[in-house]
Amino acid sequence: MASSDLSGPATERPGGVRLTGVSHRYGRGGDAVTAVGPLDLTVPPGEFLVLVGASGCGKSTLLRLIAGFERPTHGTVQVSGAAPRPGQGAGVVFQQPRLFPWRTVEGNIDVALRYAGVPRQEWPERRAALLERVGLQGVGRRRIWEVSGGQQQRVAIARALAAENPLFLLDEPFAALDALTRESLQEDVRRVTAQTGRTAVFVTHSADEAVFLGSRVVVLSKRPGRVVLDLPIPLPRTGATPEELRASADFAALRARVTQEVKAAAA
Amino acid sequence: MPPAPAAPELLAEPGAAPAAAPGPARRRRPSALWRLALPFGSLLLFLALWQAVAAAGTWSETLVPPPAKVWDAFLAVSTTRDGVRGYNGTYLAEHLGISLRRIAFGAGVGIVLGVLLGLVMGTVRWVRSLFEPWISFLRTLPPLAYFSLLIVWLGIDEEPKITLLAVAAFPPVAVATTAAVAAAPRHLVEAARALGASRWEVVKDVVLPSALPETFTGVRLAVGVAYSSLVAAELVNGLPGIGGMVKDAANYNNTPIVLVGIAAIGVSGLLIDALLVRLERAVVPWRGRT
Repeated sequence: MASSDLSGPATERPGGVRLTGVSHRYGRGGDAVTAVGPLDLTVPPGEFLVLVGASGCGKSTLLRLIAGFERPTHGTVQVSGAAPRPGQGAGVVFQQPRLFPWRTVEGNIDVALRYAGVPRQEWPERRAALLERVGLQGVGRRRIWEVSGGQQQRVAIARALAAENPLFLLDEPFAALDALTRESLQEDVRRVTAQTGRTAVFVTHSADEAVFLGSRVVVLSKRPGRVVLDLPIPLPRTGATPEELRASADFAALRARVTQEVKAAAA
Repeated sequence: MPPAPAAPELLAEPGAAPAAAPGPARRRRPSALWRLALPFGSLLLFLALWQAVAAAGTWSETLVPPPAKVWDAFLAVSTTRDGVRGYNGTYLAEHLGISLRRIAFGAGVGIVLGVLLGLVMGTVRWVRSLFEPWISFLRTLPPLAYFSLLIVWLGIDEEPKITLLAVAAFPPVAVATTAAVAAAPRHLVEAARALGASRWEVVKDVVLPSALPETFTGVRLAVGVAYSSLVAAELVNGLPGIGGMVKDAANYNNTPIVLVGIAAIGVSGLLIDALLVRLERAVVPWRGRT
């Protein structure tokens, strides 16, 4: 899906992200706080980029800029070669599931399919495929509050995947979950993105999560966030089981490196 | 209410209370019989006190008629007795039915208008600024205050009654809907936009459903206000109608009929509110879960 016949720089192809001289300020005058930048960042299509940093370093702001919810005070943000607009070209998963409580699990998927312009007769099939992809079968008719927090976040992921956007943005999606659920969801996200070849930008404060998920990890300094480390993660994306991966010496070394940088940046 | 603390009652699982310790277990989970016994007991106690006060004869029968007389009045207005059909030629149930129809129509109009204006006021700031002071003013007025004006303007038939009920029901719904629409959860609006919803889709799929629970509260309030304005609406030319019956009976110092009318208004009001609560649970099952 990420492959494209379009010519030009990689970041202008579907799913590519380019940030040029971007900084963002909240508020005006004396109360203004620069949350992030200035920084430059390019994400070629198909990459799984993880942004790591201590809380308050502006990593969520960066994701909101890429999603198009905010426009940067300085610099330009480009997604697939154009200024990003919410709901166009990127699926977003937030820290909280943000499901619509007046709809069932299925209803939440259906509304996303409708917004994506999928014809109604294709919904049952697409919905079943999406729910299966995030490991949710048999709960489609349940109310949102009848499924667990981990399942709710799975629904949110399925919903964000519904439009089959070339870019997938995740803002600390597993922070509120217990360790077991978190690990299983991490594995699912890793598998899903590896299968579909989508670009992903994932925000977290956990070095372990960053190294496990990312094909590239960027560590941000404390506010205003700037790039202090840009590290490719040469771990296998497919083949190895999660357990083998986590047990490998390479994984441990990379995680130690990222942990150290995050700590140094926060100090 | 039994003096049981709430927390253990909530925590106790159905099978958790061991049969070996009946004392504390029973205190924690009052049986259905006990829960019914208290309200019924209070009702019986009230009737006994009433009977005692009436029998003591401190006040005349016009002021405090004994329960038996009120019961007799109830039977009299529900049947044809000595060739007299109910009260003033109309049975109690018919009086009530006519009044309920007025409420349904009047409050219905007020609720529909209130929801519509509330939607616009909640979404468009200047419309809200324009109308809010007037609605607040209207809300503080007791319906009796403008009833005379409605009589002058609209005569003494159905028009002023329906209008009064509509005007009384309108403000609570408008205010509740406005507040609910204006306070649409931003995180869900953002989630919908992230999924590609258009402006209109955000309104239709997020703002409106999220406003439903509070709007429903407004509707319940409105029906309550309309109900409490019923007697006022039927003050002039209110027969047939339950409020008119109360007013008319009061003119003749017929206290038993007045009490029957008051009881009928109260009981039907409770039933309607219970109905609305059930409807709310069916329409807004997510209430309190967001």
